[in-house]
Amino acid sequence: MSRQSTQPTKVRNGCWIQSQALVIILLLTITLCASLPISYAGENTPPLTIGTQEIGLSVGYLFPHLLKGKKSKTEQSGPAFMPSWSMMLTDPIGNGWYRGQILIGAEIVYIQFQQPVLTHGAGFAPSIKYLFEGTHKIRPYVIFSGGPFYTDLAGQIPEQSGRFNFVLTVGGGISWFLTPQMSLNAGYRFQHISNAQTSYPNVGLNASLPFLGFSLYF
Amino acid sequence: MKAKLPLRWTIIGCCGLIIATLTTGCARWIELVAAPDSSQEPNVRTISRDEQVPLVMDSVRMTRNGSPQNLPLETEQRVLGTLREIGLFTQLGGMDSAEPSASEKFIRARLLFDETIDPHPGDAAWKGIVIGASMFILTPFIPLEYDFAAHVTLELERWDGQVKRYESQSAGTAHYQLFGATPFMIDELKGHVTESCLTALMQQIVHDTTFYTASSAPILNQPIRSVSVKSKRPKITSVPISTASGK
Repeated sequence: MSRQSTQPTKVRNGCWIQSQALVIILLLTITLCASLPISYAGENTPPLTIGTQEIGLSVGYLFPHLLKGKKSKTEQSGPAFMPSWSMMLTDPIGNGWYRGQILIGAEIVYIQFQQPVLTHGAGFAPSIKYLFEGTHKIRPYVIFSGGPFYTDLAGQIPEQSGRFNFVLTVGGGISWFLTPQMSLNAGYRFQHISNAQTSYPNVGLNASLPFLGFSLYF
Repeated sequence: MKAKLPLRWTIIGCCGLIIATLTTGCARWIELVAAPDSSQEPNVRTISRDEQVPLVMDSVRMTRNGSPQNLPLETEQRVLGTLREIGLFTQLGGMDSAEPSASEKFIRARLLFDETIDPHPGDAAWKGIVIGASMFILTPFIPLEYDFAAHVTLELERWDGQVKRYESQSAGTAHYQLFGATPFMIDELKGHVTESCLTALMQQIVHDTTFYTASSAPILNQPIRSVSVKSKRPKITSVPISTASGK
Protein backbone atom coordinates (compact mmCIF):
# COMPACT_ATOMS: atom_id res chain seq x y z
CA MET A 1 0.00 0.00 0.00
CA SER A 2 2.82 2.32 0.90
CA ARG A 3 4.59 1.44 -2.41
CA GLN A 4 1.51 2.39 -4.39
CA SER A 5 1.29 5.74 -2.73
CA THR A 6 4.97 6.68 -2.94
CA GLN A 7 5.44 5.84 -6.66
CA PRO A 8 3.11 8.53 -8.06
CA THR A 9 4.60 11.04 -5.64
CA LYS A 10 8.06 10.34 -7.03
CA VAL A 11 6.79 10.71 -10.60
CA ARG A 12 5.02 13.89 -9.60
CA ASN A 13 8.16 15.26 -8.00
CA GLY A 14 10.19 14.39 -11.10
CA CYS A 15 7.79 16.22 -13.38
CA TRP A 16 7.58 19.12 -10.96
CA ILE A 17 11.35 19.48 -11.11
CA GLN A 18 11.18 19.22 -14.92
CA SER A 19 8.60 21.98 -15.23
CA GLN A 20 10.41 24.07 -12.62
CA ALA A 21 13.56 23.72 -14.70
CA LEU A 22 11.71 24.95 -17.81
CA VAL A 23 10.35 27.95 -15.90
CA ILE A 24 13.84 28.75 -14.62
CA ILE A 25 15.23 28.50 -18.19
CA LEU A 26 12.59 30.96 -19.39
CA LEU A 27 13.23 33.35 -16.52
CA LEU A 28 16.98 33.16 -17.19
CA THR A 29 16.35 33.90 -20.88
CA ILE A 30 14.23 36.91 -19.94
CA THR A 31 16.86 38.13 -17.48
CA LEU A 32 19.62 37.77 -20.06
CA CYS A 33 17.51 39.57 -22.66
CA ALA A 34 16.78 42.36 -20.22
CA SER A 35 20.47 42.82 -19.51
CA LEU A 36 21.27 43.21 -23.23
CA PRO A 37 22.25 46.74 -24.24
CA ILE A 38 18.96 48.38 -25.12
CA SER A 39 19.30 49.84 -28.58
CA TYR A 40 15.73 50.99 -28.95
CA ALA A 41 15.82 54.04 -31.17
CA GLY A 42 12.17 55.01 -31.07
CA GLU A 43 11.10 57.02 -34.08
CA ASN A 44 14.24 56.28 -36.07
CA THR A 45 13.32 52.65 -36.48
CA PRO A 46 10.71 51.37 -38.91
CA PRO A 47 7.43 50.47 -37.20
CA LEU A 48 6.00 46.98 -37.23
CA THR A 49 4.17 46.83 -40.55
CA ILE A 50 1.86 44.44 -42.38
CA GLY A 51 3.51 41.05 -42.80
CA THR A 52 5.81 41.38 -39.78
CA GLN A 53 6.01 37.98 -38.11
CA GLU A 54 6.14 37.38 -34.39
CA ILE A 55 7.33 34.23 -32.68
CA GLY A 56 7.21 33.94 -28.95
CA LEU A 57 7.09 31.78 -25.89
CA SER A 58 5.00 32.33 -22.80
CA VAL A 59 5.10 30.40 -19.57
CA GLY A 60 2.52 30.64 -16.83
CA TYR A 61 0.93 28.81 -13.98
CA LEU A 62 -2.67 27.69 -13.84
CA PHE A 63 -4.81 28.60 -10.81
CA PRO A 64 -8.27 27.03 -10.68
CA HIS A 65 -11.59 28.88 -10.59
CA LEU A 66 -14.65 27.05 -9.32
CA LEU A 67 -17.08 29.23 -11.19
CA LYS A 68 -19.98 26.78 -11.26
CA GLY A 69 -20.26 26.37 -7.55
CA LYS A 70 -20.94 22.84 -6.38
CA LYS A 71 -20.84 21.36 -9.89
CA SER A 72 -17.17 22.20 -10.34
CA LYS A 73 -14.96 20.70 -7.68
CA THR A 74 -11.67 19.96 -9.40
CA GLU A 75 -8.89 22.35 -8.54
CA GLN A 76 -6.59 21.73 -11.46
CA SER A 77 -3.27 23.52 -11.44
CA GLY A 78 0.12 23.33 -13.07
CA PRO A 79 2.50 25.11 -15.43
CA ALA A 80 1.49 26.04 -18.95
CA PHE A 81 3.83 26.55 -21.92
CA MET A 82 2.64 28.43 -24.97
CA PRO A 83 4.94 28.78 -27.97
CA SER A 84 3.24 31.04 -30.49
CA TRP A 85 3.43 32.53 -33.96
CA SER A 86 1.50 35.47 -35.33
CA MET A 87 1.53 37.99 -38.12
CA MET A 88 0.70 41.68 -38.38
CA LEU A 89 -2.47 41.90 -40.38
CA THR A 90 -2.80 45.68 -40.43
CA ASP A 91 -0.79 48.86 -40.12
CA PRO A 92 -1.78 51.00 -37.11
CA ILE A 93 -5.50 51.71 -37.25
CA GLY A 94 -7.69 54.12 -35.33
CA ASN A 95 -6.88 57.37 -33.62
CA GLY A 96 -6.46 58.12 -29.97
CA TRP A 97 -5.75 55.75 -27.12
CA TYR A 98 -7.09 52.68 -28.92
CA ARG A 99 -4.81 53.07 -31.95
CA GLY A 100 -3.13 49.76 -32.66
CA GLN A 101 -2.55 46.79 -34.90
CA ILE A 102 -4.27 43.45 -35.40
CA LEU A 103 -2.26 40.24 -35.39
CA ILE A 104 -3.49 36.81 -36.31
CA GLY A 105 -1.67 33.64 -35.45
CA ALA A 106 -1.71 30.43 -33.53
CA GLU A 107 -0.22 28.95 -30.43
CA ILE A 108 0.45 25.52 -29.07
CA VAL A 109 -0.85 25.14 -25.54
CA TYR A 110 0.80 22.57 -23.34
CA ILE A 111 -0.33 22.19 -19.74
CA GLN A 112 1.11 19.84 -17.18
CA PHE A 113 -1.70 19.34 -14.69
CA GLN A 114 -0.06 18.65 -11.34
CA GLN A 115 -3.30 18.71 -9.38
CA PRO A 116 -5.49 16.79 -8.79
CA VAL A 117 -3.75 14.06 -10.83
CA LEU A 118 -0.48 14.34 -12.69
CA THR A 119 -1.69 14.49 -16.29
CA HIS A 120 -0.99 16.43 -19.45
CA GLY A 121 -2.87 18.39 -22.04
CA ALA A 122 -1.89 19.79 -25.42
CA GLY A 123 -3.76 21.83 -27.96
CA PHE A 124 -3.54 24.08 -30.99
CA ALA A 125 -5.31 27.41 -30.79
CA PRO A 126 -5.59 30.06 -33.53
CA SER A 127 -5.40 33.49 -31.94
CA ILE A 128 -6.26 37.08 -32.67
CA LYS A 129 -4.45 39.85 -30.88
CA TYR A 130 -4.87 43.61 -30.78
CA LEU A 131 -1.60 45.35 -30.01
CA PHE A 132 -2.17 48.92 -28.84
CA GLU A 133 0.34 51.49 -30.05
CA GLY A 134 0.98 52.60 -26.48
CA THR A 135 4.24 54.46 -26.08
CA HIS A 136 5.93 52.42 -28.87
CA LYS A 137 8.24 50.93 -26.26
CA ILE A 138 5.50 49.73 -23.93
CA ARG A 139 2.53 48.35 -25.82
CA PRO A 140 -0.49 46.78 -24.10
CA TYR A 141 -2.47 44.11 -25.90
CA VAL A 142 -5.56 41.96 -25.66
CA ILE A 143 -5.69 38.44 -27.02
CA PHE A 144 -8.28 35.79 -27.73
CA SER A 145 -7.47 32.24 -28.74
CA GLY A 146 -9.34 28.99 -29.04
CA GLY A 147 -8.88 25.53 -30.48
CA PRO A 148 -8.88 21.79 -29.90
CA PHE A 149 -7.25 20.46 -26.76
CA TYR A 150 -6.47 16.87 -25.86
CA THR A 151 -5.95 15.93 -22.23
CA ASP A 152 -5.80 12.73 -20.22
CA LEU A 153 -7.04 14.65 -17.18
CA ALA A 154 -10.54 14.16 -18.54
CA GLY A 155 -11.97 10.88 -17.41
CA GLN A 156 -10.18 11.17 -14.08
CA ILE A 157 -12.28 14.06 -12.84
CA PRO A 158 -16.04 14.39 -12.47
CA GLU A 159 -16.36 17.48 -14.66
CA GLN A 160 -15.06 16.14 -17.96
CA SER A 161 -15.36 12.64 -19.38
CA GLY A 162 -14.00 12.91 -22.94
CA ARG A 163 -10.33 13.47 -23.64
CA PHE A 164 -11.05 15.60 -26.70
CA ASN A 165 -11.84 19.13 -25.55
CA PHE A 166 -11.51 22.73 -26.60
CA VAL A 167 -9.46 25.40 -24.90
CA LEU A 168 -10.54 29.04 -24.99
CA THR A 169 -8.48 31.85 -23.54
CA VAL A 170 -9.07 35.56 -23.29
CA GLY A 171 -6.70 37.97 -21.69
CA GLY A 172 -4.32 40.84 -21.95
CA GLY A 173 -0.81 41.87 -21.25
CA ILE A 174 1.96 44.34 -21.79
CA SER A 175 4.83 44.05 -24.26
CA TRP A 176 7.99 45.87 -23.29
CA PHE A 177 10.05 46.39 -26.44
CA LEU A 178 13.74 46.11 -25.55
CA THR A 179 14.56 46.59 -29.22
CA PRO A 180 12.21 47.04 -32.19
CA GLN A 181 12.65 43.32 -32.87
CA MET A 182 12.24 41.99 -29.37
CA SER A 183 9.86 42.35 -26.47
CA LEU A 184 9.27 40.90 -23.04
CA ASN A 185 5.65 40.15 -22.25
CA ALA A 186 3.68 39.79 -19.05
CA GLY A 187 -0.02 39.38 -18.63
CA TYR A 188 -3.05 37.49 -17.49
CA ARG A 189 -5.41 35.10 -19.25
CA PHE A 190 -8.66 33.50 -18.29
CA GLN A 191 -8.79 29.94 -19.57
CA HIS A 192 -11.76 27.67 -20.15
CA ILE A 193 -11.58 23.99 -21.11
CA SER A 194 -14.69 22.08 -22.15
CA ASN A 195 -15.82 19.71 -24.89
CA ALA A 196 -18.66 21.65 -26.57
CA GLN A 197 -21.16 18.97 -25.47
CA THR A 198 -19.44 16.25 -27.49
CA SER A 199 -19.57 14.03 -24.41
CA TYR A 200 -21.24 14.08 -21.02
CA PRO A 201 -20.60 15.43 -18.40
CA ASN A 202 -19.28 18.74 -19.61
CA VAL A 203 -19.12 21.07 -16.63
CA GLY A 204 -15.89 22.68 -17.85
CA LEU A 205 -12.66 23.71 -16.19
CA ASN A 206 -11.87 27.35 -15.60
CA ALA A 207 -8.57 28.83 -14.53
CA SER A 208 -6.54 31.98 -14.21
CA LEU A 209 -3.25 31.96 -16.06
CA PRO A 210 -0.73 34.70 -15.26
CA PHE A 211 2.22 34.44 -17.62
CA LEU A 212 5.62 35.79 -18.64
CA GLY A 213 7.28 35.48 -22.01
CA PHE A 214 9.16 37.03 -24.86
CA SER A 215 8.54 37.71 -28.55
CA LEU A 216 10.81 38.18 -31.53
CA TYR A 217 9.67 40.21 -34.55
CA PHE A 218 11.08 39.85 -38.06
CA MET B 1 -4.73 -3.37 -36.87
CA LYS B 2 -7.96 -2.38 -38.53
CA ALA B 3 -8.41 0.44 -36.03
CA LYS B 4 -4.96 1.85 -36.77
CA LEU B 5 -5.55 2.17 -40.50
CA PRO B 6 -8.04 5.06 -40.34
CA LEU B 7 -5.81 6.85 -37.82
CA ARG B 8 -2.86 6.52 -40.17
CA TRP B 9 -4.89 7.90 -43.05
CA THR B 10 -6.18 10.68 -40.84
CA ILE B 11 -2.62 11.68 -39.94
CA ILE B 12 -1.53 11.48 -43.60
CA GLY B 13 -4.58 13.50 -44.61
CA CYS B 14 -3.90 16.16 -41.98
CA CYS B 15 -0.25 16.40 -43.03
CA GLY B 16 -1.32 16.71 -46.68
CA LEU B 17 -3.81 19.43 -45.80
CA ILE B 18 -1.22 21.37 -43.80
CA ILE B 19 1.34 21.13 -46.63
CA ALA B 20 -1.28 22.14 -49.22
CA THR B 21 -2.39 25.09 -47.08
CA LEU B 22 1.17 26.26 -46.48
CA THR B 23 2.17 25.99 -50.14
CA THR B 24 -0.97 27.44 -51.72
CA GLY B 25 -1.45 29.99 -48.94
CA CYS B 26 1.85 31.76 -49.71
CA ALA B 27 0.83 33.31 -53.03
CA ARG B 28 1.00 37.03 -53.68
CA TRP B 29 0.78 39.21 -56.76
CA ILE B 30 0.72 42.87 -57.62
CA GLU B 31 -1.83 44.44 -59.91
CA LEU B 32 -0.71 47.76 -61.31
CA VAL B 33 -2.91 50.42 -62.88
CA ALA B 34 -0.21 52.25 -64.76
CA ALA B 35 -0.30 55.89 -65.77
CA PRO B 36 -1.44 56.29 -69.41
CA ASP B 37 1.92 57.75 -70.50
CA SER B 38 4.08 55.11 -68.87
CA SER B 39 3.19 52.40 -71.39
CA GLN B 40 4.24 54.49 -74.38
CA GLU B 41 7.55 54.02 -76.09
CA PRO B 42 10.15 56.40 -74.67
CA ASN B 43 10.76 59.58 -76.67
CA VAL B 44 14.30 60.10 -77.89
CA ARG B 45 15.70 63.61 -78.37
CA THR B 46 19.27 64.52 -79.14
CA ILE B 47 20.88 67.69 -77.84
CA SER B 48 24.49 68.82 -77.77
CA ARG B 49 26.32 68.94 -74.46
CA ASP B 50 26.59 72.73 -74.73
CA GLU B 51 22.79 72.89 -74.57
CA GLN B 52 22.52 71.10 -71.25
CA VAL B 53 21.83 73.10 -68.09
CA PRO B 54 21.97 72.10 -64.42
CA LEU B 55 18.89 71.34 -62.32
CA VAL B 56 18.50 72.07 -58.63
CA MET B 57 15.78 70.64 -56.44
CA ASP B 58 14.11 73.59 -54.75
CA SER B 59 11.53 71.81 -52.63
CA VAL B 60 10.15 68.34 -52.15
CA ARG B 61 6.90 67.79 -50.28
CA MET B 62 5.18 64.58 -49.44
CA THR B 63 1.66 63.89 -48.24
CA ARG B 64 0.07 60.60 -47.25
CA ASN B 65 -3.70 60.33 -47.28
CA GLY B 66 -3.75 64.11 -47.26
CA SER B 67 -1.51 64.69 -44.27
CA PRO B 68 2.03 66.09 -44.64
CA GLN B 69 4.88 63.66 -44.01
CA ASN B 70 8.59 63.81 -43.34
CA LEU B 71 10.36 63.33 -46.62
CA PRO B 72 12.39 60.15 -46.91
CA LEU B 73 15.78 60.96 -48.46
CA GLU B 74 15.37 57.96 -50.74
CA THR B 75 12.47 59.67 -52.54
CA GLU B 76 14.51 62.74 -53.45
CA GLN B 77 17.46 60.57 -54.47
CA ARG B 78 15.22 58.41 -56.60
CA VAL B 79 13.70 61.38 -58.43
CA LEU B 80 17.15 62.88 -59.01
CA GLY B 81 18.40 59.51 -60.23
CA THR B 82 15.54 59.24 -62.72
CA LEU B 83 16.16 62.80 -63.95
CA ARG B 84 19.84 61.92 -64.34
CA GLU B 85 18.94 58.92 -66.48
CA ILE B 86 17.16 61.01 -69.14
CA GLY B 87 20.38 62.96 -69.75
CA LEU B 88 18.73 66.33 -70.21
CA PHE B 89 20.63 68.12 -67.46
CA THR B 90 24.34 68.52 -66.82
CA GLN B 91 24.21 68.37 -63.04
CA LEU B 92 21.53 67.53 -60.54
CA GLY B 93 21.56 69.01 -57.08
CA GLY B 94 19.46 68.06 -54.10
CA MET B 95 17.77 70.47 -51.72
CA ASP B 96 20.93 70.73 -49.64
CA SER B 97 23.16 71.64 -52.59
CA ALA B 98 24.05 75.24 -53.41
CA GLU B 99 22.07 77.03 -56.08
CA PRO B 100 24.06 78.34 -59.09
CA SER B 101 24.51 82.09 -59.32
CA ALA B 102 21.79 84.19 -60.91
CA SER B 103 23.97 84.80 -63.96
CA GLU B 104 23.89 81.11 -64.82
CA LYS B 105 21.20 79.23 -66.63
CA PHE B 106 19.64 76.54 -64.49
CA ILE B 107 16.32 74.86 -63.75
CA ARG B 108 14.56 74.89 -60.37
CA ALA B 109 12.46 71.83 -59.56
CA ARG B 110 9.61 71.55 -57.09
CA LEU B 111 8.17 68.14 -56.38
CA LEU B 112 4.94 67.14 -54.65
CA PHE B 113 4.50 63.47 -53.90
CA ASP B 114 0.96 62.60 -52.82
CA GLU B 115 0.46 59.03 -51.62
CA THR B 116 -2.85 57.35 -50.88
CA ILE B 117 -2.77 54.16 -48.88
CA ASP B 118 -5.70 51.88 -48.18
CA PRO B 119 -4.70 48.72 -46.31
CA HIS B 120 -8.36 47.64 -45.92
CA PRO B 121 -7.95 47.12 -42.16
CA GLY B 122 -11.60 46.20 -41.57
CA ASP B 123 -11.59 43.58 -44.31
CA ALA B 124 -8.26 42.24 -43.09
CA ALA B 125 -9.57 41.90 -39.55
CA TRP B 126 -12.73 40.04 -40.59
CA LYS B 127 -10.90 37.82 -43.03
CA GLY B 128 -8.29 37.13 -40.34
CA ILE B 129 -11.00 36.02 -37.93
CA VAL B 130 -12.53 33.72 -40.58
CA ILE B 131 -9.11 32.27 -41.48
CA GLY B 132 -8.29 31.69 -37.81
CA ALA B 133 -11.68 30.14 -37.09
CA SER B 134 -11.16 27.72 -39.98
CA MET B 135 -7.85 26.64 -38.42
CA PHE B 136 -6.09 28.31 -41.42
CA ILE B 137 -7.66 25.86 -43.88
CA LEU B 138 -9.34 28.73 -45.76
CA THR B 139 -6.04 30.61 -46.14
CA PRO B 140 -5.62 29.77 -49.87
CA PHE B 141 -9.18 30.85 -50.64
CA ILE B 142 -9.26 34.24 -48.89
CA PRO B 143 -6.93 36.79 -50.45
CA LEU B 144 -6.12 40.05 -48.66
CA GLU B 145 -5.53 43.39 -50.37
CA TYR B 146 -3.41 46.47 -49.90
CA ASP B 147 -3.97 49.50 -52.16
CA PHE B 148 -1.39 52.15 -52.90
CA ALA B 149 -1.77 55.12 -55.24
CA ALA B 150 0.59 57.96 -56.00
CA HIS B 151 0.10 61.32 -57.65
CA VAL B 152 3.31 63.14 -58.49
CA THR B 153 3.48 66.78 -59.50
CA LEU B 154 6.74 68.22 -60.75
CA GLU B 155 7.18 71.91 -61.47
CA LEU B 156 10.23 72.94 -63.45
CA GLU B 157 11.08 76.65 -63.48
CA ARG B 158 13.38 77.86 -66.21
CA TRP B 159 15.97 80.54 -65.51
CA ASP B 160 13.74 83.17 -67.15
CA GLY B 161 10.90 82.45 -64.73
CA GLN B 162 8.73 80.32 -67.02
CA VAL B 163 7.22 77.33 -65.25
CA LYS B 164 6.09 74.01 -66.67
CA ARG B 165 4.02 71.68 -64.60
CA TYR B 166 3.97 67.92 -65.07
CA GLU B 167 1.65 65.46 -63.40
CA SER B 168 1.34 61.72 -63.36
CA GLN B 169 -0.51 59.20 -61.30
CA SER B 170 -0.51 55.49 -60.83
CA ALA B 171 -2.11 52.97 -58.53
CA GLY B 172 -1.61 49.37 -57.60
CA THR B 173 -3.00 46.65 -55.42
CA ALA B 174 -1.06 43.92 -53.69
CA HIS B 175 -3.14 40.77 -53.45
CA TYR B 176 -1.73 38.30 -50.98
CA GLN B 177 -2.63 35.30 -48.95
CA LEU B 178 -1.92 35.25 -45.26
CA PHE B 179 1.28 33.23 -45.37
CA GLY B 180 2.57 35.28 -48.29
CA ALA B 181 2.53 38.59 -46.45
CA THR B 182 5.88 40.26 -45.82
CA PRO B 183 6.88 43.89 -45.25
CA PHE B 184 8.84 43.65 -48.54
CA MET B 185 5.61 43.04 -50.42
CA ILE B 186 4.41 46.56 -49.56
CA ASP B 187 7.81 48.01 -50.53
CA GLU B 188 7.59 46.17 -53.85
CA LEU B 189 4.13 47.62 -54.51
CA LYS B 190 5.24 51.16 -53.64
CA GLY B 191 8.35 50.72 -55.77
CA HIS B 192 6.37 49.67 -58.85
CA VAL B 193 3.78 52.45 -58.48
CA THR B 194 6.44 55.11 -57.94
CA GLU B 195 8.46 53.86 -60.91
CA SER B 196 5.37 54.01 -63.10
CA CYS B 197 4.71 57.62 -62.05
CA LEU B 198 8.30 58.72 -62.58
CA THR B 199 8.48 57.04 -65.99
CA ALA B 200 5.37 58.93 -67.10
CA LEU B 201 6.81 62.20 -65.76
CA MET B 202 10.12 61.74 -67.53
CA GLN B 203 8.39 61.07 -70.83
CA GLN B 204 6.55 64.37 -70.50
CA ILE B 205 9.79 66.18 -69.69
CA VAL B 206 11.66 64.59 -72.60
CA HIS B 207 8.83 65.70 -74.85
CA ASP B 208 9.64 69.31 -73.85
CA THR B 209 13.39 68.93 -74.33
CA THR B 210 13.71 72.07 -76.40
CA PHE B 211 12.20 74.12 -73.57
CA TYR B 212 15.15 73.31 -71.32
CA THR B 213 18.03 73.73 -73.74
CA ALA B 214 20.44 76.57 -73.00
CA SER B 215 19.57 78.35 -76.24
CA SER B 216 15.84 78.26 -75.57
CA ALA B 217 15.80 81.58 -73.69
CA PRO B 218 18.27 84.30 -72.75
CA ILE B 219 19.19 85.12 -69.17
CA LEU B 220 17.15 88.01 -67.85
CA ASN B 221 19.12 91.22 -67.52
CA GLN B 222 17.35 91.94 -64.29
CA PRO B 223 16.71 88.57 -62.72
CA ILE B 224 14.07 88.32 -60.04
CA ARG B 225 15.91 88.84 -56.78
CA SER B 226 12.98 89.07 -54.40
CA VAL B 227 11.04 86.18 -52.91
CA SER B 228 7.81 86.07 -50.95
CA VAL B 229 8.20 85.14 -47.28
CA LYS B 230 5.00 84.00 -45.66
CA SER B 231 3.62 81.30 -43.41
CA LYS B 232 0.98 78.90 -44.57
CA ARG B 233 -2.62 79.51 -43.63
CA PRO B 234 -3.68 76.82 -41.14
CA LYS B 235 -6.03 74.30 -42.71
CA ILE B 236 -7.42 72.94 -39.45
CA THR B 237 -10.66 74.68 -38.59
CA SER B 238 -11.57 75.29 -34.99
CA VAL B 239 -14.02 72.91 -33.39
CA PRO B 240 -17.04 74.58 -31.79
CA ILE B 241 -17.50 73.68 -28.14
CA SER B 242 -21.03 73.57 -26.81
CA THR B 243 -21.74 74.34 -23.17
CA ALA B 244 -24.73 73.47 -21.06
CA SER B 245 -27.17 76.40 -21.17
CA GLY B 246 -28.57 75.65 -17.72
CA LYS B 247 -25.42 76.74 -15.95
